[in-house]
Amino acid sequence: MSRPPSVIRQTIVTPIILIVVLLAMAALSYQFGSRAFNRTAIEMFINIMVVVGLYAFVGNSGLLSFGHISFMCLGAYMTAWLTIPPVMKSITLKGLPAWLLHTQLPMWVATPISGVFAALFALIVGRIIMRLSGIAASIATFGLLGVVNNVYSNWDSVTGGQGSIVGIPPTMNVWIGWLGAAVAIVTAYLYSISRSGLALRAARDEEVAARASGVDIVRERLVAFVVSAFIIGLAGAFYAHFLSIVNPGSFYLRTTFITLSMLVVGGMYSLSGAVAGVVAISVLIELFRDLEKGVSVGGLTVGLPNGAQEIAIGIITIVILIYLPSGLTRNREFSWRNWPLQRRRLVPPVQTALKETN
Amino acid sequence: MTSQGLELVARDVSVQFEGLKALSDVTLAVPRGRITGLIGPNGAGKTTLINVLTGFQPVGTGTVELEGNAIGGIAPHKLRRMGVARTFQSGRLFRDLPVIDNLEVTGVGLGQSRRDAITEARQVLAWLGISPLAATIAGALPYTDERRVAIGRAIMCTPRYLLLDEPAAGMSEHESHDLAVIIKRIAGELGVGVLLIEHNIGLVLELCERIFVLDSGEIIEVGAPDQIRRSDAVRHAYMGTQRDEIIPALAEQAAAS
Ligand SMILES: Nc1ncnc2c1ncn2[C@@H]1O[C@H](COP(=O)(O)OP(=O)(O)OP(=O)(O)O)[C@@H](O)[C@H]1O
Ligand SMILES: [Mg+2]
Repeated sequence: MSRPPSVIRQTIVTPIILIVVLLAMAALSYQFGSRAFNRTAIEMFINIMVVVGLYAFVGNSGLLSFGHISFMCLGAYMTAWLTIPPVMKSITLKGLPAWLLHTQLPMWVATPISGVFAALFALIVGRIIMRLSGIAASIATFGLLGVVNNVYSNWDSVTGGQGSIVGIPPTMNVWIGWLGAAVAIVTAYLYSISRSGLALRAARDEEVAARASGVDIVRERLVAFVVSAFIIGLAGAFYAHFLSIVNPGSFYLRTTFITLSMLVVGGMYSLSGAVAGVVAISVLIELFRDLEKGVSVGGLTVGLPNGAQEIAIGIITIVILIYLPSGLTRNREFSWRNWPLQRRRLVPPVQTALKETN
Repeated sequence: MTSQGLELVARDVSVQFEGLKALSDVTLAVPRGRITGLIGPNGAGKTTLINVLTGFQPVGTGTVELEGNAIGGIAPHKLRRMGVARTFQSGRLFRDLPVIDNLEVTGVGLGQSRRDAITEARQVLAWLGISPLAATIAGALPYTDERRVAIGRAIMCTPRYLLLDEPAAGMSEHESHDLAVIIKRIAGELGVGVLLIEHNIGLVLELCERIFVLDSGEIIEVGAPDQIRRSDAVRHAYMGTQRDEIIPALAEQAAAS
């Protein structure tokens, strides 16, 4: 019997399309965009990293997570600890251990360390949380967000408390942003075509049958959790370099809400959906940011009240959930065959009275 | 194919659901390489017994043994890795995945690489004669194909035991005949110990060497097909149930033999 074509060969076009399209966006922004526009583009790339990381867990496991932004927090602070010049650290972060106080690493070293740090943390807490199922697991991840936020808000001598830590080298630009998004996409892609990814998607559809097929669901969930924490930890590191300051408030409810909306709007079971959702919502945010600043009409500045942005995103998310419950991409991946979004000939399943629940 | 002692056994098993005794002191053995039947009216406890044998249902009292080793408390996925496979009364295919991936999941769950699992899945589909279904999304399959895919998923990597929960439900005469051929080959060619739960009594009497009859959680009869045909207890158990169309079937079979 002939060997079947490998899984990679059948699916590799999706990450290629995504990465190439993002490269084009980066190039356009670099070439024609203002400074402010470029900052928006970088922010979008960082959000792509977060949401793609979120997809690696949520999309494959089907469990909603509210705790992922805590990995971003972990990555960002680790980067702050590793990259701020020792002179500054010794004034603001006196509680750091001596070896960390005297270290200063370049971005390209500090970033992977930050990702690994977030992943290790996920490995430890995931061992407990992944035993839970459904809503209980989601609530536990929410608890995680609260705990991490509290620790980072109050451990003054190490995190600077509620205030901001300054002095992270501002080394981000669109190209590095694009590179980060590409790394996130490739990592999430490799995970979803892995054995663990397949087993987890099966468990997402039919948990009982997956167990009867030999799948160790707790273990596969943990793998996905760690992979997604790694990606989001990297995003946190980039975010720290982007703003050059970090404070715990950036990694809390607002960011959790917006990134989850991005995933849901795009289609949470597909990698293409994760990316498309970020692009769509980013455009929207940019639009509302301008409107909030105000448009002058005949000498009068008319502006939307602050917070209109969040309200609009909330409403759009609800509308999408009602009319397109599987998101803009309808949970499908971009590929040559179904691009742009060709209709799939999916015969509706035959309904019979014989389908019982046991 | 069989040797003494190679069997999957439930010994004196009782299971209780909030006051309802689903199984009372049930003892049942499934020997390797043979087909064993399990029949009984609706709600008799047949599915519960499969759940017990596959680790989905903890027992109240009694033991479960796999070829001499106690397996109580072992998780379902580990039991599958030890060779105890099952299908579900309701199919439970991975609806969003193509048929080939439904089988592949078992290979991956049992430790194969994706490539090896796909190769094996193709072989199993060919062995079952359903290769053309490989690319169909499982959620779109007609009912009878769903059953065959479920069997394919369960026999990936050749388990030692296979517990089939009403595999012929909803099938026509012709389709259940094809199914009978497949079940015989699974036991005969692959040496798998099969436990067949079916309301299609004709199929059970035709295929099984030994048949257990369960009623209200108790084994009321065990024996060869002939013995079951003649049993008053069995006829009595089915009387007054929605399944009393089985009684003429039993009588017919008895007259024919
Ligand atoms: N998880 C459960 N909780 C409570 N009661 C249950 C549970 N599972 C099964 N039962 C009850 O136990 C009894 C046996 O159920 P079981 O599903 O094993 O019967 P069955 O022989 O498979 O029936 P059928 O032919 O209808 O499939 C039934 O009365 C059922 O209602
Ligand atoms: Mg049943």
